[in-house]
Parts: sequence; C-alpha cells; structure tokens
Amino acid sequence: MKKTVKLIIRHVVLALLAFIWLIPIIWLVVTSLSANKSIDTTHFFPEHWSLDNYAQLFFRPDTAANFPAWFKNSMIIGIACCIISTMFVLMVSYAFSCMRFRSRKALMSFSIILGMFPGVLSMIAIYFVLKLFGLSDSIAGLIIVYSAGSGLGYLICKGFFDTISVSLRESAKLEGASEFTIFTRIIIPLSKPIIVYTVINSFLNPWMDFVMARLMIKSKSPADWTVAIGLFNLLQRNLIGSYFSVFCAGGVIVAIPISVLFVIMQKFYVEGITGGAVKG
Amino acid sequence: MKKFLNGLKKYFAEFGTSVARGDIWTRLSLVIMGAGYAGRGQLVKGILMTLVECGFFAFTALFSWPYMAKLGTLGTVQREEVFDPLTMTKTVNDYDNSLLILLGGVIGILVIFAFLLLWISNMKTVYRIQTMKENGEHINSLREDLRTLINDRFHVTLLTLPSLGVLIINIIPILFMICIAFTNYDMNHQPPTYLFTWVGLANFKALFTSTTTITFGYVFARVLVWTLIWAVLATFTTYIGGILLAKFINNEKTIGKKVWRTLFIITIAIPQFVTLLLISKMFGDYGIVNGLCSKIGLTGFLQDIGLVSKGLSYIPFLSKPGWAHVMIILINIWVGVPYQMLIATGILMNIPNDQLESARIDGASEFQIFWKITMPYMLFITGPSLITSVIANINNFNVIYLLTNSYVTTNMAYANSNAKEVDLLITWLFTLTNDYSNFKMASVIGIVTFIICAVITLLSYTRMISGNKEEEFQ
Amino acid sequence: MKKKVLSAVLCMSMAASLFAGCGSDAGTTDGGSDAGAADAGAAGAADAGTADAGDAGAADAGDAAANPIDTLIANTTDTVTLQLWCSEQEAYQTVMAELVDGFKSTYPEVTFDIQIGSVSEADAKDRVLEDVEAAADVYVFADDQISELVNAGALNEVATTYTYDIAQADAESTVEAVTVGGKMYAYPLTASNGYFLYYDKSVFDDADVASWEALLAKANEAGVKVGMNVADAWYLYSFFAGAGMELTMNEDQSNTCDWNSTSTSPTGAEVAEAIQTIATDPAFIAVNDQDSRAMYAQDLKAYVNGVWAVDDIIAAYGEDYGAVKLPTFNAGGQDVQMGSFAGYKFVGVNAYSKNVGWAMLLAEYISSEDGQAAIANATGESPTNTAVASTVSSPAIAALSAQSAFADRQVVGPNFWDPANSLGAQFVEGSVTDFQAALDEAVAGITQPANAQ
Repeated sequence: MKKTVKLIIRHVVLALLAFIWLIPIIWLVVTSLSANKSIDTTHFFPEHWSLDNYAQLFFRPDTAANFPAWFKNSMIIGIACCIISTMFVLMVSYAFSCMRFRSRKALMSFSIILGMFPGVLSMIAIYFVLKLFGLSDSIAGLIIVYSAGSGLGYLICKGFFDTISVSLRESAKLEGASEFTIFTRIIIPLSKPIIVYTVINSFLNPWMDFVMARLMIKSKSPADWTVAIGLFNLLQRNLIGSYFSVFCAGGVIVAIPISVLFVIMQKFYVEGITGGAVKG
Repeated sequence: MKKFLNGLKKYFAEFGTSVARGDIWTRLSLVIMGAGYAGRGQLVKGILMTLVECGFFAFTALFSWPYMAKLGTLGTVQREEVFDPLTMTKTVNDYDNSLLILLGGVIGILVIFAFLLLWISNMKTVYRIQTMKENGEHINSLREDLRTLINDRFHVTLLTLPSLGVLIINIIPILFMICIAFTNYDMNHQPPTYLFTWVGLANFKALFTSTTTITFGYVFARVLVWTLIWAVLATFTTYIGGILLAKFINNEKTIGKKVWRTLFIITIAIPQFVTLLLISKMFGDYGIVNGLCSKIGLTGFLQDIGLVSKGLSYIPFLSKPGWAHVMIILINIWVGVPYQMLIATGILMNIPNDQLESARIDGASEFQIFWKITMPYMLFITGPSLITSVIANINNFNVIYLLTNSYVTTNMAYANSNAKEVDLLITWLFTLTNDYSNFKMASVIGIVTFIICAVITLLSYTRMISGNKEEEFQ
Repeated sequence: MKKKVLSAVLCMSMAASLFAGCGSDAGTTDGGSDAGAADAGAAGAADAGTADAGDAGAADAGDAAANPIDTLIANTTDTVTLQLWCSEQEAYQTVMAELVDGFKSTYPEVTFDIQIGSVSEADAKDRVLEDVEAAADVYVFADDQISELVNAGALNEVATTYTYDIAQADAESTVEAVTVGGKMYAYPLTASNGYFLYYDKSVFDDADVASWEALLAKANEAGVKVGMNVADAWYLYSFFAGAGMELTMNEDQSNTCDWNSTSTSPTGAEVAEAIQTIATDPAFIAVNDQDSRAMYAQDLKAYVNGVWAVDDIIAAYGEDYGAVKLPTFNAGGQDVQMGSFAGYKFVGVNAYSKNVGWAMLLAEYISSEDGQAAIANATGESPTNTAVASTVSSPAIAALSAQSAFADRQVVGPNFWDPANSLGAQFVEGSVTDFQAALDEAVAGITQPANAQ
C-alpha cells in the first residue's frame, strides 16, 4: 500500500515538473493557433482558433515574412555546417587522440585558450575578414562562420576516441593498415554516437543564432535571411502587433524537424555525450 | 618556463647547425627554398617549396605590405570627397581606412611569422636530407612522401584544414580585437570616413578610473561580480538539477522513462531565442503571469511584505534588479536542466552497480547514497566539462540579452556607462559596440573577460590537459 | 621535423593561394571600380565640357537643372544598381515599390536594378554603421539619428537638388532639421514621427484628455488604464520641454541640459515631482510601445504614441478612436502644456554609394511632392512638403499638427539617452524622494563630455 502511494507521488511530481517545463511550449503552440495576430496577455488559450498562421507562413510570403525561403536557407546552411563541422571535429579529435606528435599538447592547450575569447567581440572582425575575401553577405560566408572554427570543439569527441581500445588500432597496424585506413575503417564506424552528437549540435547552430547571422547577412530582403534572422525580425515594434502568432507558428515548425531528430537520435546522443564526457 | 626556453634554444641551435654545416645546396636554400630538395633529386618538392616562397613574397608585396607600412600610424589620409553638381559624380581621394590597415597588417604579420617558421624548418629539413644523403640513407621519392601523409604524418593531413579555419575565424579576429583595445576606435573615430590611431593604455586606465560621470570602473566591478555569480550559479543549478531529474526519471520504479525524457527534451528543440522571448513576454511587466498574480492577489501580498515597491502595479520579474537576477537564474534552470539531464542519464547508466548494492546492504539511505556515491562519481567524470560550462556561461549571451531586452536601469552610474544591473560582461560589450560604436572599451572589456576565463581554466584545468590519464583508458 | 615542414608548407600554400586569390580579387574589383569611376569622371568631364560649350546660352535661360541629369543619363551605360532601405511595414514596402517603378519610368533610357530592403527607420543607424560601405545607397531614417550618421560620415551632403528645391517645398523648421553644421544632409520625407495622445472616445471626452489630472481621474473612475512610456528618454523629454527647459547638443556632441534648474518656473524638481505623481497613479502604466500593442484591445484606453501605431489603435478602438495633442500637467501649482520632439523621417543618401548621382535622384523622387503624397496616402503619415501637407487629414495627423506648436527640433547628443531613460525609470518606480538630487545626477550624466570614455 505504502509502495503504491509512493509510486503515485513519484509520478505526480514528475508530471508536475514536466508540466512546468512544457508551459512555455504549450503557450507557443496554442498561440500559433490563435486567430488573433498579436500577443494576448490576458488569456493563456486563444479566444478563437485558426490554422491561418501556418497558411500564412507557408503560402503567403510577404515583405516581412518569407518563411519558405528562410527555411531553405537555414536548411542549406545547416546541412553544410553539419558535414564540414563533423569532418573537422572527427579529424582533429583523431589527430589529438590517436596520434602522437611533437607540439600536440601545446596545440591542445592553445586551442582551449582560444575558445575562451568572447565570441561576440570578434564578430565584427570576422565580418571584415570575410569581407576581405569577398564572402560577406552570402550563404557560403555564413557556412564558414559556423563551421570553420568547429575544430576547436574537439574535446568531447576526443574523450570518446580515448576510450576506444588502443589494441584495436595496434593490431590493425600490424596487419599493415595505414592511419588513414584505421581512421576511416575502424574508428569512424565505432563512433556513431559521437558523430550523431556532433551532427545534431552543428546542425542546430544556424537555426539558433541570430546575432552573427544578422551581421553577416547584409541583404535586407527577407528572401535572403535565415529562419533565425527572419523570426527575430518579426518581433520589431511595428510587426509584433500583426505577426506575433505567425512568429509562434514559425517556432513550432522549426522545432518539429529538430525534435524528431532528437527523439530518434536520443540513444546515440546520450552515449556520445557520455562517452566523451567520461574523459572530457 | 625553463623547458620552454630550452626548447627555444635548441630550436635555433639546430637552425644554426644547418646553416653552418650545410653544403652549397643547403645554403642555397636560405634564398631559394626549394634548392635543397632539387639538389638531392626531389625536384617536384623543390619546385613546390619555391613556389610557396614566391607566393609568400608576391602576397606580402602586393597585398599586405601597403597595410603593414601604415601600421604605425593606422593611416594619415582622411577621406575627402568632392561632388561635382554638374555631372552628379563624386571624386574621392585615395584615403586610408584604419580598420583595413589594422586587419591587413595583422594578417600580413601573421603570414610573415608563419613564413619564418617555415623557412627555419625548411633549413633543418634540407640539412637532414643532406646528412641522410651523406650517410647513404634512402631518400623518399615524392610518392613516398605523399604516402606518409596518410600514415605517419596523417595528423598533418587531418589538422591542416581545421587549423586554417581556426586561423581565419578565431586567431585573426582575436588578434585584431586585441589591437583595437589600444586604439581610439569609437563613435568619433569611425572608419572608413575617419581615422583611428594608437593611444597606448589609455582605455585600460579609463576602465579603472571612476568619477561621477565616468563610471566604467564602478560599473565594471559590479558587472564582473554579477558575471561570476551568474556563471557559477547557472552552472551548478542546472548541473545538480539535471542529475536529480535524471535520477528521478531513471529510477526503476518510474513507468515510461522514455516518454518522460522526451517531454523534457522537446524544450531543447525549439530555438532558444523563440522560447526565451516567449518567456520574457510571459513574465513581462504587463504579461500574462503578472495578470494572473494581480488577480489572485499575489502582487498585493508581495507589496505588503515589501518585496515589491508600492509604486508598481506589477511584479517586476524581469525589470528590477534582484527580481531580475533571481528570475534569470530560474529561467536558466528551465533552459539548462533538460540538457544536463540528458548527459547525466548516460553517466548514471554506467555507475558501477556493486557499490550501490553494498551501500544499500550496509543500510545507507537513498539520500546518503546520492551524496556519498552518485555525486562523487558524477563529479569525477564531468569535472572538466563543468569548468567548460562555467566558461560558456561567462560568455552566455542569449539568455541575458533576450530576457532583459526592455530592462531600464534606475542606477545613474550604470546608465552613464551604457550598462544595466543584469548585464554580463559579454552583453555589456555587445551594447557598447552595437549601439554606441564604442569598440575600444568593448575590446578592453573583452580582453579582461578573456583573462578571467583563462585564469579560471588554467587554475583548474592544467592538470587535466597535462595529466597523462589519457592513456589509462586506452 | 619533416612532418612539421610539410604541415607548414601545406598550410602556407593553402593560405597563400587563398590570400593570393582574394588579394587579386580585391585588387581587380578595386581597380575595376576605380577605373570605372575614373572613366566616368573623365567622360563626365568631357561631356560636361561639351555641354557647357553647347549650352552656355541655355544655362542662362534657367534650364541649368536639367543639364546634369541629361549628362548623367548620357554617362550611364551599365545597369544602375541601387539599394533602398525603408520601414518593414507592409504599407511602406508596397508604396516604395510603386515609387521605384515610377522612378524607373521617369528615366526610361537607363536600366535600373533597385532592391528594396526592410529596415525599420528606428534601427537604420545601427544597421548602416555596422558597415557603411555595405549599407543601402538610399535609406529612410528617423531624425534622431542624423547627427550620429553625419558624425560617422555615412550621409552624403545634399549640396544641390535637381528636381525640386527643399527650401521651397518644406517649412523652414523642417529644413533646419536636416541641417547639421550649416549643411543639409538629408531629404525630408514625413513630419509625423512625433508623438501625441491616442484615446478611446467611448471612455474619455474632450475635457478629459486636456490634462493628465482629468485623464487619470476619469480612468480611475472608469476602471481603465492610461499610459505613456515614461521610462524612455524620448518621451520623458516632453515634460521638461513643456516646462521650457533646455536640452541641446553642443558642437562636440555633448549636451547642454538644465533640467535640474531651480530658477525656472516651475522648477526642475517640481516637474520631476509631477511626473512621479502621474507615473505612480494606479490608473497609469508606463508600458513600452512594443508591449502596448496588445493592450489597446484590453484596458489601455489612452496612450501616448505616434502614427506608426495607428493600425493597431484603429483595430482596437474602432469608430471611437480619437487623437489629440498631449495633455497638460500640473507642476508647482501651474498647468504646463507638454512639449515634444518634432519627429521627422528623412531620406538619406549613403556617402559611399557607388551611384551617388542616381541615388540622389531616387531620394529626390521619393521625397518629392508626388512621392510624399503617395506615401501619405498609403501609410497615413503626414508629409513635410507644405503643398501636400494640407491635403492629408486624419485624427492622428490633426493631433500631431496641434502638438507641433509645442514641439522642438531634436538636437540631442548620444549621452542623453541612457541617463534620461534611467531617470524616467526612477519616476516609474516611484522611488525618488529627493527630486533635486535625482535631477542633478541625471543632468551630470546627460552633460558628460561626449567622448570621455
């Protein structure tokens, strides 16, 4: 009897916590279904329901919102960043974890120190460097911004590689395999969790960042923006009154692919993160 | 330090030996870098090396020299334009752009530095080939050289591209911004129209002086304290919250673990700027939460016990110091716990079960087990990543910026320095650059933030990097 | 060692090729544009020479204005690419697109490629100054940014106009507003960027909206709210300006401010006390513009805002929407009419525009009599052009022109904003007990040297 009560209490507490965590999400979803375009500060649930915000998002791009174009741009950047960042992280991690060479430690310490410089500050400098290369105001430039420095984020992945048994590599070497072969044929197939972890993290970047993107993308034509710039722009004082629920709808749509990715990859993600964190 | 100096000594000594004992080909490499290879039959490598050398000189002469030459003054010719009203065209003089001079100069110097390193190493390599030849050892053909790139020297292949990326995205911008701290780049010296120039340590002095209106020193100390408090609290609250939640969900008595976990993970999937802006609207002065609070009389109650000033008709969740500080930490728990929960879940699964069992047999309570076994284990494993999160939180821009967008300070000292009580160093310097074009002070603040992060890391981290624990696990 | 060399070589060669490639790219584009400019200049000079020779007599005949444009057309061979930034509001975007089409058909000889971007005129300065070379050729901005834009060299001087004369088309005060240091830097576009009082006629009558005291009394009685963003320097100014106090910018971008004056009547402290009394009234809320938008439909029935909010106001108040000049307030026993900033929107030409001639013509076209009429029709804003101004009428515009008698040109240095915001926030909080001390502190901040930090 006591056990049942305890069990019920446990689940009630969990449900309560989950509820707290989901309140903003629920508000986001119900507001996105509101017929009222502005913020309703008196009611949690909208007075009139409508799917119009989604229709507007997808089928009626106007001078303020062009969601299909934003989605496309973010998708391109996200996928490109995914590929480049994941490659960079794997490459750097392998070099630091599985190979021994002079200045390895020095390079590792140096890269950790580099990562501590406040990114917001160097934004303007990054912009002018890319402008020097003629890459500002382009999707290619944004891809470089998000992925070129990704090699610095090798720590967790390196930790994961550290846990892979060294005898595996040694026996392969005895059989005459080159480092390249070991990297591509042995280490990478074993690293599914950490690859998933890296892929998700680098894919998220362009969907989340609006500060750097707004500086990089000089074009003020909505068709050239990313989802983050575009949605953030909808909250300007002159737009918020007529676009707030559209903004919410946009947030929901963005969350769908990412949540699906998370739920499917949950297992790998957890393994990857912990495998890496063990040796951080 | 001593080790470093010795290394440096050895480095140049080797170079000296190469020059002193080198034969004609080796010495010729001082001028034509490929000579040493070409002379020993490595023709292609020799040509490539010489091409790189030519490339370097061409780059320096054509691109970076014009900038480097003006680096001392950062430019002297201000932009002047003459508009011809008859043709409606404009003639502009050949003006200097301080920003480009500084940037081009930094790049140019970096390239020269890299070239010098290459040049010295090249000499040593050429000398080694010379000795190998003298000893009759086998000298690699180009094909063999290339093959080592996927084998012994695979790390070179692996690291080249990522290093180049880091060079462009991190190193050059950081060096550039560090230089800005020693210039007068601000609202009145904005390139390209106006020039800025070197001012030495004047900006650092400004950071540490205080008068009634120059309040950078006063504000800096306070913002710094809040930044550190924030970083520590934000890290540990989410960390412990995440572990507790993970334990709660993963308890064997919980039904539907995966469903619970998914519910929490959904909050990670929505971009932070969407959720945080929504939350800031919910907790706004006239937001839905305040509406509710005044309806149920909470606002009045808080006013009665003095937590809310009488003049306000709402609870200033995100608009007054104190309230805002607490709310920011709480909301950050909301943001961070699911993520930490995910991490903790994985680690908890790996906890050695025998320890837990024996503790239970000894009659330890769940609470004792948690503090005596689970937490030490977690700390042991995630210690290093905790420090990374503290650093990440010092530089956590999104949460503060998005939550306190409409915060107005009532403290004139903050206002005079364009800061707010809830600002972190990072959001403060964003305001300074974005709204006030005050790049010089922003750079100074950035450098100080960087030093603080570096010190924290070095104090607690060096053991982890230098420790030889890596091999233990392999 | 060898490893290191090769890594360095690889790095170097890649870097070198990258830099070399880009270096040469930059070189060619620079060279190209320079050459282009030089060509244009040379050709222009040559043409101007011939034009001068040919039309020496005609110039006397008073048709001088047409010549430069003809010259420009003759000199333009390539497609003219221009960027135009204006408000993100749909009405603005639409009417600007129409105006751009009109502009193109005015000069059928030339092929244009004109892009319209959406940048709120309130943010124009921030976006332009990020990188002035990459900013739009022509942009619309709010008048408070003009001094900082000029200070950064981002505005092209309006040395001459070609299609209309600003001094003739606009009132003298408007011309003054676009003048910085004796030179004109922008084309006036609208005169309705100021603020006034919106109210719901079903709650308040004419007598109620005449003074804050009556307004608040009625609001308390009717159980509704009235509001104004007092914690914002731009609005806070109206109280002190109304009491006749001074705030201007000096040559060096610092401010002169006597809000803490004890010799004026009413004194600064009396004004401050009056503001705090209003701001702490139970019926008063100091909500900001963005948050206020959703509250019109709820219980916010009178609010100080500008024409940009008119759509949301009409949507909420409907038939009963009313607008009047700002109310009076009682300070030190006398009723003081609130002042305000006379707000304008200007069209500016980027000093770094590659096609500065065409950019100027586009700016002129947009800000011309017809352009302003079209914008006024589409957006409900009031034009600066005196000929069109009389043709536009709406309650909001009427309120604005009634308020304009008490409005001043905005000449304010950058150090005004944060200290004054903070002062306003103190009043809203109701925490000020020593008004003189609070004002002294704020004034010290406002008047601090512009570049001390």
